[in-house]
Amino acid sequence: MDKLDRNATYAGDIAVELKGVDKTFYQRQRSARVRDVFKNLFRPTLREIHALRQVDLTVRRGEIVAYAGPNGAGKSTTVKLLSSVLAPTSGTVRALGMDPMQDRVRYVNRIGVVFGQRTELWWDQPVSASFEWKRVVWDIPQERYERMLGLVRELLGLDEFFDSLARQLSLGQKMRADLGLMLLHEPEILFLDEPTIGVDVLAKRNILDFIKNINREQGVTVMITSHDMDELEQLAGRIVMIDRGRIAYDGPFDRLRSHFGDRRRLRLQTGGEEAPALEHAELLQTQAGWHEYVFAAAQVKLPTLLEAAAAQVPVLDVETHRAPIDEVIADIYEEWEE
Amino acid sequence: MQAYLDFMWMTRDFKFFIINVVADFILSLSGVVAVFLLAERFAGIGVWSRDQVLFMLGYAALVDGVLEMFCSYNVLHISRRIGRGQLDHTLVQPQPLWMALLTEGFMPFSGCWGFLAGLGISAWAFGQLDLALSFGWWLGYGVHLLSSCAVVLAFSFLWGALAFWSPVGAEEISSEAVSFTRQLKSFPLDGLHPILVNGLLSVVPVGFVAWYPCRVLLGINGDAGSLWVTPLFACALSLVALIAFKKGLHYYGQTGSQRYLRWGHRS
Repeated sequence: MDKLDRNATYAGDIAVELKGVDKTFYQRQRSARVRDVFKNLFRPTLREIHALRQVDLTVRRGEIVAYAGPNGAGKSTTVKLLSSVLAPTSGTVRALGMDPMQDRVRYVNRIGVVFGQRTELWWDQPVSASFEWKRVVWDIPQERYERMLGLVRELLGLDEFFDSLARQLSLGQKMRADLGLMLLHEPEILFLDEPTIGVDVLAKRNILDFIKNINREQGVTVMITSHDMDELEQLAGRIVMIDRGRIAYDGPFDRLRSHFGDRRRLRLQTGGEEAPALEHAELLQTQAGWHEYVFAAAQVKLPTLLEAAAAQVPVLDVETHRAPIDEVIADIYEEWEE
Repeated sequence: MQAYLDFMWMTRDFKFFIINVVADFILSLSGVVAVFLLAERFAGIGVWSRDQVLFMLGYAALVDGVLEMFCSYNVLHISRRIGRGQLDHTLVQPQPLWMALLTEGFMPFSGCWGFLAGLGISAWAFGQLDLALSFGWWLGYGVHLLSSCAVVLAFSFLWGALAFWSPVGAEEISSEAVSFTRQLKSFPLDGLHPILVNGLLSVVPVGFVAWYPCRVLLGINGDAGSLWVTPLFACALSLVALIAFKKGLHYYGQTGSQRYLRWGHRS
């Protein structure tokens, strides 16, 4: 599998480094049969779950890295290892030159973590109170606090709900408030675990724009996990894909497309309901005189397909675009499962 | 900071504020009133006079009040935080865990009403008793009060540590441990079989929540050496709880939280 070609880096340039990291969990297996009750109690069968296997990963300062994989692949485990809440079974985890578990207090002062399904906001307090709490606990100097507060209020549009109770906010508002809260102490790395889960389209766009903005303006390193591949492609140049605990791909999105075939969509309007048969292109659907195909650009050229279509029926209109990255990834996951 | 958050929470609605105050008062009084009525009816319980029983009830209410005021937000009920996977919130804060736990539970406004009720009962008892209140006595009183609080907290943490290994099964174990001490704390244990008394002063240390310290402070057993028993027991139990909790925390670092529930002070 391709690996990203990277120039040699010096230690100070590296934000995150995982070397030979394994993480194994044990899951107790129970049979539902009554006769197994004593075995279940006293000699349970333990199943080993290898959440991560020999993971090597380096993230440079200022990078945005998309960390993707199917459910249970090991994404959240990696984020937890890098957030000081979980220790590896073996291997080394270093970030900002520190061991997240050993140097927890110093380390978490320099990072920001958002878990999409949780919030750091004080539930029964106005959003503003959580920000004030953060200033005190993180011991943020007043000047920095006011500067960052102004920035996040403006960029994330927090003013409309800054004095509302956290529990009254919508999912998107909560996530925006959490992102703002996370940035108050100017972290050097952000770990975002599914930050847009359940968030509507507009809020999602705001959040993504914001992440891009702080990466560009402040040079913050970002490692983000998501199931939404289009979203990740908008945000990051590099994608690390993990499957059953192993890194299966580490490189740019473009190379991922070309490696797995640059799939394109072709829509032809013929006026009739009968779709022309095109070699090397798969017909997806026919609707109101439009016929949609998918084809691999490396296998067949577009003019060849158009010529073949025009030879069969009059072509009135043509549309073509790249297949969404989600489709590419879905194919990869399917291939992995096989 | 926690005081500020508590004040903001307490004062968000005047009706809510009043209901909270009244409910806390009633709860504190209801915890001790049954034993007081017994003492009143029979002019004391065993070797304890009515006023000495009142003193013990005030002391017990103060222990509850102090814990309520300093260990709210599920710090006292620590197994809830562990079992619900909410400890992760604390671990991503740049402060030692002990500091976070000691400060996060401080609720001087909404949590002080039980403490005030305890002060009231104690003040009434002091007015009735003829005690020689020297500086040394007050010092002993303060040390015993803190020791009793430490015993309840350590007992809760000791059992609560089980939630590291069994987050679902032991989620409410701290609450049960605390509730057990609350239910039994106001009963004078004199006259029980020595095995039972020793059990209630060791395995289930309910006797140290109010009965034993008050016996010492009021001079009921007349043994000056026993002045050290409650503080020493509190230190020993705290040490055992600390070891168990650290072991559990180490285990938590290996397994992480397998579940996350949205209950608690944060979502």
